[in-house]
Amino acid sequence: MFKNLIKESTGKSPWLFHINAGSCNGCDIELVSVLTPRYDAERLGFKLTGSPRHADIVVVTGPVTAQSLDRVLRTISQVPEPRCIVTMGSCPQSGNVFRGSYAIAGPLSKYVHVDVDVAGCTPKPEAVIDGLALATKILAEKRGQME
Amino acid sequence: MNMLSLQHFPIYSIMVLFLGAFLIVVFGRSKVVRHSVALLATCASMLFMMGLIKPVMLGGEIISYWMGARVPAGGYAIGIALEVDALSLFFGLLVSTVVFVACIYSIQYMSHDDNVPQYYTLFLMLAGGVMGMVLTGDLFNMFIMVEILTFAAVALTAFRNTVTGALEAAFKYLVVGSIGSTCILAGTIVLYAQMHTLNLGQLAALIPGNLTTSTKLAFALLFIGFCTKAFLVPFHPLAADAHGAAPASISVLISGVLTKSGIYGIIRLTYFLFQSMGLGTMQFWLVFLGSVSMFVCVTMALAQHDFKRLLAFHSISQIGYVLAAVGLSTALGISAGVYHAMNHTIFKGLLFLAAGAVLHETGTTDLGKLGGLSKKMPVTTVMFLVGAAAISGIPPFNGFASKWMIYQASYQKAVESNNIGFLAVTICALVTSTLTLASFVKVTQSVFFGQLPKEYENVKEVPFGMRLAMGILAALCIVTGLVPNYVTRFLTEPAAKAVYHVGAYINSAMGAGYAESVMQTVPVAAEPSFVQHGVWSPVSWLCLLMIALLALTVVATSAKYDKVSLGEATDTKYQLFYGGEKNFYSQVGSDDLFWGFKHNWRHYFSFMHELHSGVVNDYALWAVVALALATLYALVVL
Amino acid sequence: MALILQALRYLVYVLVFPGFLFCFMTGLLLCGIDRKLVARMQKRVGPPILQPFYDFFKLCGKETIVPAAANRTVFLLAPLVGLAALVVIQLFIPVFRFSAFNSIADVIVILYLLLIPALSVIMGGAASGSPYAGVGLSREMVTILSCELPLLLVLLAIGKVVGTALGTGICFSLSKIVDYQMAHGSLLGKLSMIPAAVAFLLVIPGETGNHPFDAAEAETEICEGPLAEYSGAPLGVYKLSHAVKMLTMTSLFVALFLGGIGTGIENLMFQLGLSGGAAGAVAFLLEILVLFLLCAVLTFLTISVVHAVTARLRIEQLFKYYWTVVAGLALISLVLAWYGL
Repeated sequence: MFKNLIKESTGKSPWLFHINAGSCNGCDIELVSVLTPRYDAERLGFKLTGSPRHADIVVVTGPVTAQSLDRVLRTISQVPEPRCIVTMGSCPQSGNVFRGSYAIAGPLSKYVHVDVDVAGCTPKPEAVIDGLALATKILAEKRGQME
Repeated sequence: MNMLSLQHFPIYSIMVLFLGAFLIVVFGRSKVVRHSVALLATCASMLFMMGLIKPVMLGGEIISYWMGARVPAGGYAIGIALEVDALSLFFGLLVSTVVFVACIYSIQYMSHDDNVPQYYTLFLMLAGGVMGMVLTGDLFNMFIMVEILTFAAVALTAFRNTVTGALEAAFKYLVVGSIGSTCILAGTIVLYAQMHTLNLGQLAALIPGNLTTSTKLAFALLFIGFCTKAFLVPFHPLAADAHGAAPASISVLISGVLTKSGIYGIIRLTYFLFQSMGLGTMQFWLVFLGSVSMFVCVTMALAQHDFKRLLAFHSISQIGYVLAAVGLSTALGISAGVYHAMNHTIFKGLLFLAAGAVLHETGTTDLGKLGGLSKKMPVTTVMFLVGAAAISGIPPFNGFASKWMIYQASYQKAVESNNIGFLAVTICALVTSTLTLASFVKVTQSVFFGQLPKEYENVKEVPFGMRLAMGILAALCIVTGLVPNYVTRFLTEPAAKAVYHVGAYINSAMGAGYAESVMQTVPVAAEPSFVQHGVWSPVSWLCLLMIALLALTVVATSAKYDKVSLGEATDTKYQLFYGGEKNFYSQVGSDDLFWGFKHNWRHYFSFMHELHSGVVNDYALWAVVALALATLYALVVL
Repeated sequence: MALILQALRYLVYVLVFPGFLFCFMTGLLLCGIDRKLVARMQKRVGPPILQPFYDFFKLCGKETIVPAAANRTVFLLAPLVGLAALVVIQLFIPVFRFSAFNSIADVIVILYLLLIPALSVIMGGAASGSPYAGVGLSREMVTILSCELPLLLVLLAIGKVVGTALGTGICFSLSKIVDYQMAHGSLLGKLSMIPAAVAFLLVIPGETGNHPFDAAEAETEICEGPLAEYSGAPLGVYKLSHAVKMLTMTSLFVALFLGGIGTGIENLMFQLGLSGGAAGAVAFLLEILVLFLLCAVLTFLTISVVHAVTARLRIEQLFKYYWTVVAGLALISLVLAWYGL
């Protein structure tokens, strides 16, 4: 019974940790707007946490600059299993307009396995919610594989 | 007379200590000899005291011993007497037990020092001085013993004279301590000139009928004298310096034993010699002094950044509790006060031993330099936590049991006398208790938790002897907290009753019928009431907590709570979260931890900072001012 | 046989009602109601009422990482001790006429027992070794300091009022306080108790560490403070403790100030013509329901509304607020109580 409860609950309470890997702040603002009254992601159980240790889903924004790479990877490694990594915006996927710059170490998928990519510059809140919901499903699956 | 009759036990328990001191001077070169002599002497002293529990505590006897069998004749007590009633025995038991534990601790703690034989000599002199002071039945003898213990304590404060500030601390202590001793001598002289006797029993019989200006002056002198011994405000800066410099085992004696002798002196003086049990002005005087001491010293402690200095201020804060409770002049108040005195001796002893253990291993007690020792010294950490919980009044440890009685006693007194002033004592005591907790959270975080500095990576746990000494006191902390009913019934209530039976004390010293023949009204030994309105049964609570914890543990293990993921610090996953940065040494601790609190009290703290200049002239001046105020109060108000 | 039955009864008290199961269900439910109400006040849909349950079970299924710098034993044990201590406190708080254990601890002792859960957060945070936890625990301690003074003034005032009325001078026993209210109406009806009740209501969010008094666990500035390094089941236990503390504080308020409502339930049973064992059972269930509803209303008043309309206070503002405004209210009440109003 206990196991079932855990399995049921894993998909219903995804907590987010947001990492800014050199973002222009556009995606960051948009992520916050997802939690505002208009879109209210909290109805799906989403919550922003202050520490990676509490998180289930890591949302990375920004093109992963050379300066931030080390910090991003360290922080991601500190998130307990099961965890999902979501990239938000085009930057962490492809480098976007910064592609080819000497200061960019991205895309993120070169370093860690990325579960969901939400494209756009910036993505619409609906798209973000959709991506997060997808990540939540993957999260529940990963939890099932842990047993 | 049989040499082993109970009559002789008090003198034996003092004598063995002084004899031990003498033997160590002569034969102390050998390690084995000095250790065994010191241990035997302190242990014997403790056993002699314990032998008296049955007749004195349970049987209510008062044991009088006259040196050379010179019993009083013709209504005058010329001989030197020891008078052991339940109050004396209570303090005697406390003293001898803690001295024994401190002696066990000393063996390994002092192993790296020079001049160890001198240390043990002075140690036993100090112990013997306090024992003599609490068991004697003679005012002049009391002065002699106070002198012995003061000078032994001064010498021991300066014992590690290579430590910065040790000599300065000893000098301050010497100056102000001498002022105190002089006051006691002067008070004794004034009383002797008036009453032509020095026996405490006879003085107690004569003084209430002859309250003149000079006896009141003597009261003020003696009172201030005993206050310096208990380090009450305004004598508190001495204690901080002395504790900071002295070896930890001596700090245990200074805080646990020496201050108790001051409290004992004050109780004897106010309730026996001057029999001011029902006197409202006296109650105000004691309670006010106690409350001020407890509050001022706890705030001073919050501002400290040295482990031992912090403990020193707490020690006076706790003495403030004792004095405020005793000053309530109710049976419950006195019982609560002496209970807290006992508990303070135990938990403060434990805390000083833990501080000593930290000093022994790391070489410093600076809160800003320490950190993360719990992984290297787990036993010390647990012992410290027990002591810290006890002093902060966390149930179910002993500090809570006695503080709980103090809250009730002061609140009951307020309600019974319909005096809202006593309510302030309750509130002050409760707030002080929380502030105490705050400052021990600071120590816990700064010394035992948080991050381990690089230079202490090779620190080890302290040796067995030191752990044993801490273990004994920690066990006492828990036991006396769990069974407050038994402690009060067998130890503190007899002691509190003894305070009420002044007539019996006089008659025991001077022969039956003396009190009735001299005094117009012999204080009636009404059966004091120890009714408590509060409800607290620690054992049942602990049982419930254990059941709850057990249930939780069963659930938790079935939910794989215990299967945690552990790893080395080289793996980034197991490093601390620094917002993504690489780990670096960052210890949050030391004196500015409670910024939110101190910011609001910044004017008070800066005022206190200005006031405590650290100059001995100032402190001597404070002593003189205190004496003047006490004299004024005694002459005008009392 | 009787002894076994007695032991069994106590075990039921600890494990089911008013112990673990009750605390777990109602605590998390209160937390869910709070989150929903805050969302509704901000014109959001809000999470489902059962969201705290999902959160708790999800955390139980997560990996528990113990940092290499942490003291493992204290780090893992602290949450359990805190929760156990909190549940034991709940056993001492009477539900109108019913009280599981009434001769073990009284209100002042409960005030001190309430320190243990707070200390468990502090100890756990300290044991993790994180500097964020260091800052958090210092703020947590200042929060405790702030709440302690008004709370104890309130309790002293209640002790005096009830003690005077009962003729014993002082009364701190919770079951006696409730019994007195059953006989003479709720304490909230007394003039001297109104400021005390307001002060107590203001203390509730501070004690539970809710907005705007959550400087200790400010997730946006110090990464959840003492909880920064916790993950998985221990974190879940802390979240549960937080929820149970909401129940403890609100039900303590009900016991101290609204105990008289129990009489109303009794009268209702009488009017409905119910009597005997069935009436007792119905009344008991009704009492639990009423208690829960009252707790929910109090949670709404003290936690949700305050959360929705205020911004977080800095720690020194928090301290000042409690020691001036709230303690002042409590002091007025104490003085009024002293002069028999």
